[in-house]
Amino acid sequence: MADINIVEKELVHGGHHDDHGHGDHEHHGDKYQSSFIDRYIFSQDHKTIGKQFLITGMLWAIIGAGMSIIFRLQLGFPDADMAWLQPLLGGWINIDPLTGLGEIDADFYYALVTMHGTILVFFVLTAGLSGTFSNLLIPLQIGARDMASPMMNMLSYWFFFLAGAILFISLFLNTGPFSGGWTGYPPLSALPQASDGSKAGATLWLLSLVFFVVSVLLGGINYISTILNMRTKGMSMFRMPLTIWAFLITAVLGLLSFPVLASGFFMLTFDRVLGTSFFLNEIFIAGEALTTRVGGSAILYQHLFWFLGHPEVYIIILPAMGLVSEVLSVHARKPIFGYKAMVFSILAIGVLSFLVWAHHMYMSGMNPFIANIFVLFTLIIAVPSAVKVFNWIATIWGGNLRLNSASLFSVGFVSMFISGGLTGIFLGNAAIDLQQHDTYFVVAHFHVVMGVAAFFGMFSGIYHWFPRMYGRFMNETLGKIHFWGTMIGAYAIFGPMHYLGMAGVPRRYYRFDKFQAFSEFTGMNEFMTIAAILTFLVQLLFVINFFYSIYRGRKQTEMNPWGATTLEWTAPINAGHGNWEGDIPEVHRWPYDLGRHGREFIMQTEPLAEGEVDGGHD
Amino acid sequence: MEMVTSPKKIRRVHPKKFALWTAIVSMLMLFSAFTSAYIVRKAASNWLSFPIVDEFFYSTGVILSSSVILHVAYKAFVAKNYALYRLLLTVGLGLGVLFVALQYMGWLTLNSDTYGIFISTNQSSSFFVLLVGTHALHVIGGITALMISWIYALKGSTKEWTPKGQLRLELTFTYWHFVDILWLYLLLFLWIQQ
Amino acid sequence: MGFTIGALCVILLAVFIVQIGKARELASIVRNDPAEQDEINKFQAGLGIIFMVSFLIVCVVSFIYYIPTTLGWGPNIAASLHGPEVDYLFNLTLFFTSIVFVLTHIALFGFVWKYKGKQGKLGLYWAHNETLEMVWMIIPSVVMTFLVVGGLQAWNNIMLDLPEDAVSVTLPEADGEYLEIEATGSQFLWFLRYPGRDGKIGTKYFTQIKKGVNPLGQTWTDEKNMDDFMTTEIVLPVGKPVRVRITARDVLHNFYIRDMRVKTDAVPGMPTYFNFTPTVTTDSMRRRLSKEPEWQVEDRNDDTKKRWEMFNYELACAELCGNGHYSMRNVVKIVSEEEYLDWLDEQEGGELEEVVADSASGSIEYTYMPGSVNSQYFSKVYNTAQDPLKGKTANLEKLVENKLRVNVYMNKMKDMRNEAEMGSVNYVRAEKAMNELKSLQKTARITTDIASSDKALAAAKAIADDVKMTLPVPVTVPQIDTIVSDTAK
Repeated sequence: MADINIVEKELVHGGHHDDHGHGDHEHHGDKYQSSFIDRYIFSQDHKTIGKQFLITGMLWAIIGAGMSIIFRLQLGFPDADMAWLQPLLGGWINIDPLTGLGEIDADFYYALVTMHGTILVFFVLTAGLSGTFSNLLIPLQIGARDMASPMMNMLSYWFFFLAGAILFISLFLNTGPFSGGWTGYPPLSALPQASDGSKAGATLWLLSLVFFVVSVLLGGINYISTILNMRTKGMSMFRMPLTIWAFLITAVLGLLSFPVLASGFFMLTFDRVLGTSFFLNEIFIAGEALTTRVGGSAILYQHLFWFLGHPEVYIIILPAMGLVSEVLSVHARKPIFGYKAMVFSILAIGVLSFLVWAHHMYMSGMNPFIANIFVLFTLIIAVPSAVKVFNWIATIWGGNLRLNSASLFSVGFVSMFISGGLTGIFLGNAAIDLQQHDTYFVVAHFHVVMGVAAFFGMFSGIYHWFPRMYGRFMNETLGKIHFWGTMIGAYAIFGPMHYLGMAGVPRRYYRFDKFQAFSEFTGMNEFMTIAAILTFLVQLLFVINFFYSIYRGRKQTEMNPWGATTLEWTAPINAGHGNWEGDIPEVHRWPYDLGRHGREFIMQTEPLAEGEVDGGHD
Repeated sequence: MEMVTSPKKIRRVHPKKFALWTAIVSMLMLFSAFTSAYIVRKAASNWLSFPIVDEFFYSTGVILSSSVILHVAYKAFVAKNYALYRLLLTVGLGLGVLFVALQYMGWLTLNSDTYGIFISTNQSSSFFVLLVGTHALHVIGGITALMISWIYALKGSTKEWTPKGQLRLELTFTYWHFVDILWLYLLLFLWIQQ
Repeated sequence: MGFTIGALCVILLAVFIVQIGKARELASIVRNDPAEQDEINKFQAGLGIIFMVSFLIVCVVSFIYYIPTTLGWGPNIAASLHGPEVDYLFNLTLFFTSIVFVLTHIALFGFVWKYKGKQGKLGLYWAHNETLEMVWMIIPSVVMTFLVVGGLQAWNNIMLDLPEDAVSVTLPEADGEYLEIEATGSQFLWFLRYPGRDGKIGTKYFTQIKKGVNPLGQTWTDEKNMDDFMTTEIVLPVGKPVRVRITARDVLHNFYIRDMRVKTDAVPGMPTYFNFTPTVTTDSMRRRLSKEPEWQVEDRNDDTKKRWEMFNYELACAELCGNGHYSMRNVVKIVSEEEYLDWLDEQEGGELEEVVADSASGSIEYTYMPGSVNSQYFSKVYNTAQDPLKGKTANLEKLVENKLRVNVYMNKMKDMRNEAEMGSVNYVRAEKAMNELKSLQKTARITTDIASSDKALAAAKAIADDVKMTLPVPVTVPQIDTIVSDTAK
C-alpha cells in the first residue's frame, strides 16, 4: 500500500520525535477537548479515561463488596431475623407470615454470589485495574502524547460503562439477576427452567459481558500498539519500566483469551435462544425430556470458559505486580532486583498461563489422563511467580525504605501473594484438588490472591500515582489506617476460611445445617462475617480519602515528589492533553538508577556520563 | 546483559495499522475457538454431514471480486483518480452486500425441503450457523466501515482526499481483505470437513 | 432502628477519623520536619514486626486449634483405600509451603525493619546476582518436581478406571470383581440405584423418564433392570471395591463423599465414574470419634444421644446446581459384609407367605408371592400392559424365593437357639447349624445361578432336617418343617 511516511508525518498523534511540525501548531489545550462533554464525558485523553475507569471501578467495588456483606450475613447468621433488610431488598427477603421472621431468599443468595464474582473479577479487577493504570501510565511512561487511537480508547471505556449499565439493570429484574455462579456453567445457565436466575437475568448477563469483552479488546489493542510503536527516542524495550511490561503482556493475554470467552458466550446464547445444543445432552428438566437437545457437551463450555478464565487471573495479577515493582523500587530507593528476570518471569507467566486452564477442571469428568499435562504446567508456573517474590524481597534488602501508604500496600501485596500463591500449589496438584475442589479452600485461595493481593496492588498504585492523576496527595494518616485495617481484616476474613476448606466444607452453599459434617463452624462463620463487615467499613475511609483529596488534598508542589526516575514524573503537574508542553523527552538510561553514584535517583532522561554503562551494572 | 546504548529511532508499522492487525489477531482467536470446538465435536459421534450448497460458492466468488475491485479502488484513490475510485467503491460495497444476501439465501436453501437442515437439526448445522453467522456479522461490520467511506466519497468532500482519509481507506480495505480471506479459510474448512 | 443508629455511629466515627487525618496532615505541613519521615518509617516498620510475629503465631495456634476438624489430622482419617494418599500429599505440600511461608514472611518484614528509611542514607545500587537468582529458581523447581511426580502417580492410580475384564457383582469377593452402583444427580436430590443380585446396572435413557413411575428412565426391555432397586442411603460392605457410575438428569452436579475423598462431577449425557474401596465402617469411625472431646458432647438434634453416636458419612453435591444445591444430602453407611447382606436382603425384598397347612401336625407351608421383589421394575411395570419382560421373571423370582427359604431355615435355627438354654444340646445344635447355614445363606443371597441356588437350598434343608431328626428332646419350637409348595401361578 501507499506512502506510509506521508501519512505518518501529518498525523497529530504518533510520538515521532523528530516531528518538528509539532512545536508550532501543537497547543495541547486542543481542538477536540473544548466542551465539558468532550473533556470529561467522551474524553479522548488517556489520563481522563484512566480516571473514568478508576472511579467506575470503585463504584462497582462498593456494590460488589456490599453484596458480599449481605451474603456473608446469611452465612454467618443463617437463623437471624433479616426482616429489617426488607425495606432495601424487598421481595428478596422472605418473611414467614406466622413468626414475622425474615430470611434471605436462596435464589437471591445465589444471585448475590454470582454478581459479586462477576462484578469483582471483570468490572473491578480487570477494567478497574488494567483499565485505570494502563491508560494512565502507558503514554506517560513510554513518552507518548496519547494512545495510538484515542477514539478507540474512549470507546473502550464507554463499552465498559454500557456493560455495567446492562448488568446493573439486571439486578432489578423480576426473576432476578443471573444466579449460576460467575462461571456460568451450562446446563444451569443455558436452561431458563433450571432456575429463575437463568431466565432474563442470564440473557442480560451474557449481553453485558459480551460488551465487556469488546471493551477489553479495544483497550488491549490500544495498549499493545502504543507500547510497541509509540515509544519515545531511546526507550528501548529493556528500558521500559516493569509496569509497562506488565501492561503489555496483560494486554496480549487479554487479546488472545477474551475472544475465546466470547466464543463460549456466543454458543451459550445460541443454546438459550436458538434451540441449539452445543452444551446440552440428554436432559430431563421441569417434568420434560428435552428430546431435541442432544449431542452437546457441558464440558466444552468449561474448556472455552477456562481458556479465558485462567489467563484472566493473570490479567488481574500482572498489572498489580507491575505496579508493586515500581512502587517498591522507588520507595526503597533501589533498583528493582533482577529486572531482566522480572521481565522473563512476566513473559513466562504469560505463556504458561495459556497452558494450565484445565486445572480448573480436574473433577469435571474430563479424561483424567489430560490432567497430567495441566498439573505439570501449573506447578511450573509457580517458579516464575516465586522468582518475582524473591526479587521483591531482595529489592527491599539493602534499601532505604520510605514507608507510606503506597509502599505499605506494596509490602502487603507481597505478603498476600506469598500466602495466596502457596495455597495455589495445593490446588494445582490434581490428587489434592480431588478433595479440595469446590470447597472453601479454593475460595480462600482465590480471594487472597485476587480479592486481596490484586487490590493491594491497586491501592498501592492509587496512593502512589494520585499526584500524577490529580496534582494532590491523598491523606497519609487515613491511608495508613486503611492499610493496617485492611491487612489485618483481610487475613481475618480469609485465614479461617482455609480451615473450612480443609474440613471439606463445599462452596456455594446457602446454608450448612443440612449436613452434620458442615454445620460445626458457626463460630468461625460469624467471625468471618464480622471481620468482613469491619474490613468493608475501613474501605469507606479510603473512598472518602480519595474523593476528598481530589478537591482538598495537599497540593503537589514539585513535579517529581517521590524522587522517581520514570518519564511520567517529567510531565507538568495536572498536565493537559498531550502531556508534555514542549517536545517529548528522550530517554538515555534504564528506569532503575536509584542509589547510583551516591545519588538518590537519576531520571531516565539524564544522558549517560562518559564511560557510564547503562542498566544495573557497577 | 546488553542494553541499547545509543537511542534508536522507534518506527515500525504505523500505530493504527498495527492496532488493526492486533484486532485481527483477536478475531482470529474467536474463529480458532469455534473451529477447535468444531473439530473436537466432529470427532465424537452423531455428526450429520450435509453439502455446502451452491450459493456459498457464488458468494465466495462475490467476495473475492469485491476484494479485487476494492483493491483497484484504493489504487485509484492514491493515483487521485477520484471518479474511478467512487465508482469502484460503490461496486465493491454492493458486492459486499450481495455476499451477505447470498449467504442468507444459501441458508434458506438448506432450510428448504430438499435438505431440511435447520439450526438445531444437528451439531454440524449448529456449528455451521455459528461459523457462517459470526463471519457474516464481521462482514456487516466491514460493510459499515465501507459505507462511511462511501458516504464521504459521494459527498465529494475534500476532507476525504487527505492522508488521514487514505489511512482510513487503507484500514478499511485491510479489514475487508481479512474477512475475505477468513471466509476462504472457513469455506475450505467446512468443505474439507464434509 | 438499630441499624440506623449503627449506621450513624459508623458515620460519626468515620468523620472523626477523617478529621484526625486532616489535622495530622496539617500539623505535618506546618512542622515541615524532614526527619519526620524517619520517625514514620520506624513506627510503621515496627508495626510490621509486631504484625509479622502475631500473624505467624496466630497461624500456628489456629492450625493446632483446628486440627480436630482438618481432614487427614486428628480423628479425621480417610475412610477409603486411596484417601490416605490424598491426605499425605496435602500434608507433604503443607510441609514445604509452611517453610516458605514462614521464611519469606520473616524476611519480608524483617528487611522492612532493617532497611527502614533514614535521612541521608542511600539505597544499595545492587540490581542482580546470578548465583542467588539461580539458587532461588532451582530450589522451587526441585520441590515442584517432587510434588508433581508424587501427585501424578497418586492421581493416575486413583483415577484410572478398572480394567476391561473386571466384573461387576453384587458382593465382590474374588480379584477383579467390583460392586457398581449408580448415582444420578437431579434438582435437588440424588437417585441412588443398586444393581441387584445380577450385579449389573441396567440401561436407561432420558426420554423414558416419567415422574414417579420411572424417574431414571430405565429401559425395561433390558433384563438387567429387572432387579435394580433404588435407595435413599448408600450402604457398602467394607473393604470391597466400589465403582460409582455418576450421571445427572438436568444440570451439572457433583458426587462428593468427604470422608472417602470421593469427588467427581455429574454431567448430563456423559456418565462419569469414581472407583474407591471403603476401609472404615461407620461403627468403627463412631468408636474412633467417641474418644474425642468435641464428639462427646450432646448431639445438636437429639439430646439423648452423643454427637459421635449420630455420626454418619454423608453424600453431598459439590457443583452449583440451582437453589437447592446445599440440600442434596444422603447418608452413606459402611458396614460389615454380614450387615451388607442383611441390608441387601431387605432391599431386594420378596415375600413368603406363611400358611399353616395341616392344623393337626401344625406344619407350615410357605408360598412365594410372585412379583414381590422390591425393584422399580417389579413395583411399577411388572404385569402391566407396558411390561416387556413378561414371562422372563421366573429365574429371578426363583432365586429370591430360594433365598427366602434359606433365610427361613436360618431364622428357625436362630429362634431355636434363643429359646434353648445356653450350653444345652438344642443350643449347641442350633448354633452349629447356624454356622453351617451361614455360607449357604450367603450363596442364596447373592448367586445368580439357579443351579447353585437350588443346591444351596437343598443343602440348607438337609441341615435343618438333620437337626430336627437328631434332636434328643421333642422340639417345642414351631415346626422346622417346610413344605415346598407349588409356586406356579
